[in-house]
This record gives sequence, structure tokens and C-alpha cells, in this order.
Amino acid sequence: MEKRLIKKDVLAGIVGKIAGDVNLVAPVKEEDNVLFELVKDGVTALSSYRNTKNAPKAFFFPRSETLMRYTRKEKGYEFTGLGEDVSGQTVIFGVRPCDARSFVILDLLFDQDKYKDPYYIEKRANTTVVAVGCTKPPYSTCFCTSVDGSPMSTEGADVFLTDLGESYLAEFLTDKGEKLLKYFGDAKADAGAEKKKEEIAQAAAKEIKKTIPAHEIKAWLDANFEHPFWETVHKKCLACGTCTFMCPTCHCFDIQDEVKAADGKRIRNWDSCMFPLFTRETSGHNPRTSQKERWRQRFMHKFRYYVDMFGPIACVGCGRCVMSCPVNIDIRKIAEDISKL
Amino acid sequence: MQNPYVPIPVVVDKIITEVDTKDIKTFRLAFQNKQDEENFKYIPGQFAELSVFGKGESPIGIASSPTQKGYIEFTVQRAGLVTSFLHEMEEGTHMGVRGPLGNSWPIEFLEGKNIVVVGGGFAFTTLRSLINYMIHGDNRKRFGNITVIYGARNPGLLIYKDELKEWEKRDDLNINVTVDKGDDTWKGREGFVPAVCREVAPSSDNAVAVICGPPIMIRFTLPVFFDLKFSKENIITSLEMRMKCGIGKCGRCNVGHKYVCKDGPVFSLAELDKLTKEY
Repeated sequence: MEKRLIKKDVLAGIVGKIAGDVNLVAPVKEEDNVLFELVKDGVTALSSYRNTKNAPKAFFFPRSETLMRYTRKEKGYEFTGLGEDVSGQTVIFGVRPCDARSFVILDLLFDQDKYKDPYYIEKRANTTVVAVGCTKPPYSTCFCTSVDGSPMSTEGADVFLTDLGESYLAEFLTDKGEKLLKYFGDAKADAGAEKKKEEIAQAAAKEIKKTIPAHEIKAWLDANFEHPFWETVHKKCLACGTCTFMCPTCHCFDIQDEVKAADGKRIRNWDSCMFPLFTRETSGHNPRTSQKERWRQRFMHKFRYYVDMFGPIACVGCGRCVMSCPVNIDIRKIAEDISKL
Repeated sequence: MQNPYVPIPVVVDKIITEVDTKDIKTFRLAFQNKQDEENFKYIPGQFAELSVFGKGESPIGIASSPTQKGYIEFTVQRAGLVTSFLHEMEEGTHMGVRGPLGNSWPIEFLEGKNIVVVGGGFAFTTLRSLINYMIHGDNRKRFGNITVIYGARNPGLLIYKDELKEWEKRDDLNINVTVDKGDDTWKGREGFVPAVCREVAPSSDNAVAVICGPPIMIRFTLPVFFDLKFSKENIITSLEMRMKCGIGKCGRCNVGHKYVCKDGPVFSLAELDKLTKEY
């Protein structure tokens, strides 16, 4: 693995050069929020920020994405082509370790042996992830260490940057990552830099004060699909779906057709298990009749079903759902409450 | 990389109105490209997404049998946006199909056994596929006795009427067609499906029951088969759920950690017992 040491003040220049060659997605300031956005001329990528309001999954699995196009012919519509051209190379810069892990978790779903999702896979293959370790975990709501992550986890990253104070340690973890080597100069990292990173990593993990029994509750979840506890979780839920839209691992979608004059397109849009219509059948029958069943589904999907299907918990502990829920439903508290039952 | 979201182009070859109420029709679809026809290898019990550009898609069980060459058939009730459009279509219309999707009736498991097929109302489509598959000359020897019990509310609501008559002429198939209530011209059996099952009383010896129908029929039919000593491993059914992608990604048709579109729609009662009760 190649490692480089770069002075802090040159990072902005490196990012600028990358933006000149490929599409660059990075955290930018947008009114009061920090958001991942495609960096255009005149926009500055932030080098100092906590985390972004939006999860970067949208760059592989957009909120709304054209799957195919079609046009009206004499005997009906005919397929004319796929959606947007996504063949361009992209670098996502400044991804936090929790979000970088979310890509690995989503790969398990979108890139299975039997059914591959070409839209996700192509964008993922064309994108290099430059992650920045959380030397100081940014929020009190962070709980990555409870769900197999850590503030300095390199999982899902092609290049990993660690803030050592005066300089950054840049680790080039994959072939894709090594293609960016040319931007980072020649200063090789010495053993001292690595030792410093180790110390920072250990200190950072201790900074995550909040832990939840994410694995420990699995046995209870396996045994208690029906339990009075589920009557309590959803009571104040407004079914707004914000938690699912902010979540880096939520991946449910809807497919809709849109036609203008003779041309149409088939689009997929993010959907949410929080919505009654999500599972309502044409007959009117709905297997999940109330918010109770929908909340149980969301929680079970993350901490039980995804584990059964693929191995990892479908939660990276970023805390976005905790911060953005308008009625303060806290997924960490649900896990804790379950562990006490 | 094959794109599982892009439909295979087909043309509507034939439309058959199945019932007096005219809200159930069978669509015979022919592939526009010969290669697609060869690639579309399916097993009874599988389904496909019927794709109408401008409207959307609807997951429908394949009603034809793979032994029928040159086309695939789907029997569709008019219900929502896509199915209403299908019902307005004329022969010759171009549309799309995505599939085959899902698992299938467990053909290998059924081989060498006596098969009891129980269907109710419109939920007879993939059962018809299975029956036609089993009674085909190439396959008939692979299965033991075949008993069919099929019912509808009234004679006008029976689907595949001509085929039922043909089946009745066969001596290698025990077919029992019933209606809840007959009319002036009905000379056949009257009675609900569960009651007819009790009357026919198929033996559970080396036998598998394949049951599809409305929930109310299932509810009263299962106890009959339990009484006949069919084990839960030997009672097979097919689930329906709202679906979009059909390939286990869009996240809406799961029952516990199984996706009905990908891991189902066919499950044995023993398998269903292990899943959450949410369907």
C-alpha cells in the first residue's frame, strides 16, 4: 500500500486539480447546511466540516434516476435507450468512515450474483472514494463503534486521509485509489506518521461515548416479531419518511413512468417503508396496516433481516436519523429499550 | 452486464376473455425476437412483470406451460392502472415482459409423487401452468396420480373453460370442478372448495397438495388437508405481494428476510411457518 504525507495547506490545491480532471463530489456549504454536491466552478470544497446533512449514497443511487427511455410508435411504445450516461469518472472527496462503510453494505444488495443492478454498479465502478477519518468524532449522536465501524475505519475507502495536525497521512488502499497518487506528491509517509495515526485512531474511538447493543438484540428480534413493545415504538411517528431519506443504507425505491407527448421515461425514485402506500396492494389489502408494522419493518430490516440476508447490520451509526427526526424518535433508544426487555 | 430492468419486447398475439364479467382476460404474448424466446426459459409457478410503457408494470404469474412453444400467456384481472390498460389493448399491440422471475413450483420435489392441485377463482393461473406441464406427453410419467379440485363462485367465473372440458375427457387426470352456486345450465358439482376437498378426500400417501386461492378459501381448505394427514412440508402455496423491481432490491415484498419476488412466490407451509406473519 502506498502512503503519502501532505502538508495541510496543499490539500485544497490537490482537490482543485482533481476537480479539473474528473467529476468531483465534495462537501460544500449550502446555506446553513453542509451537503455533498458536484463541485462546479466557483464553489469551494470544504476541508473542515463535521459531516454532511445528506448521505453520499445519492451519487450511486440517486433520489430520482431514469432507468430507460421510450417513444410512442404506431403499435405502442418502444424502448429507445437507457437513462443518463454515467460513464464519466468521479471522485467523492471527504466521505466520513461511516458513510464509506454504507457503500460496502449497499454493494451486497445491488451487486448480488444473480441480479445485478447495472445503474448502481456502473457508477460505483467509476467512482473513487476518498474518505477522511474522524480524528474528532463530530457529533454526540455518533455510534459507529456499536455497528462494526469506527471513526477511523477504512472500509469502503479507496484513499483514506488522516489529519495528523500539521499534515495529512494519505493511504492509497485500492487500485482505484492508487490512480490518484499523482495528485498527492512524493513525500512518503514515515513510521512516525503511522504511529501517530494509530494513537489518533485509538483516542477517536474512545471519543464515541454512545454505544448501543446492536448485535445483542438480534436474538430478541428473531423471537419477538409479535411483542407488546412494538405497540410503543411508533406512537409519535408522523410517517414523514425523513429517517429513511437521510439514511446512508436505506435503499427502497419505487418505479414510475412519465410521459410527455410521444416520449416517456421510466424512473426510479427513493421510496420509504414508512409510507402506507409502500405495501398497499391494488385490492386494498395492506400487509402493514399501521405505523406499528412499518416501524417494526424498518427496525427489523436493519438489525435482523439484513443480517440474515447479507451479514452486516444495515446501519452505520451516522446518527442522521436521530438528528433529523422531527419528533425525536431515537433508533439508539429503541435498541437499548429492547435490550432491557 | 445484463440489465434486469429492461423489458423484453413482445407483441399481443391473442386476447381471450375468460369470464362472463369480462374482467379477467388471458393475453397470449409472442416474442418480437427469436433469441428472446429461446432465452426465456421458465418453470411453472414463476411470474413476470408485464410492462406497459407510460403506465408501469404489474407482476403476473405465467399461465402457460413451458411445454407450449412460441408464446407465453398471462391471465389478468382488471384492477389497477396497468391491468386496466392491458384490458383496453387490442391484438397486435407491442408491450414488454420482464422475467421469468421468482422461484417455481418445486418440480423435482413433486416428481414421483401423487399431486393434488387445489385452486379457487382467479388464482388458478400458475396451477394451470403446472397441470399442463405435468400432463404433457413428455412429462406425465414423471408424476403419480394427479387430482385437480377447482372452484369458482359461479359457472361464468370459471377460467379456462374449454381446457377444463378437455381435461375432463382424459383418463390420467382426476378433475373436480365446482361452483359455489350453479345456474340453470350448470350440470356439474356445487359446493365450496374446502367441502369438495373433504368429499374427494385425496390420500396423503406419497402426495403433495399445491393450493392457490383467495385467503378465505385457503383458511378453510388447509384444515381439510391437515385432517387428511398432509404434512406442512407437503402443502405448497404461492404468495402475492405488492412488487416493483421483481429482483429483490426495491424492498417492499419481504416477509421477514425473504423477498417474495426473489425467494418466492412459492413456499411450503413448513417454510411459511418459519417466516414472520406479515402478508
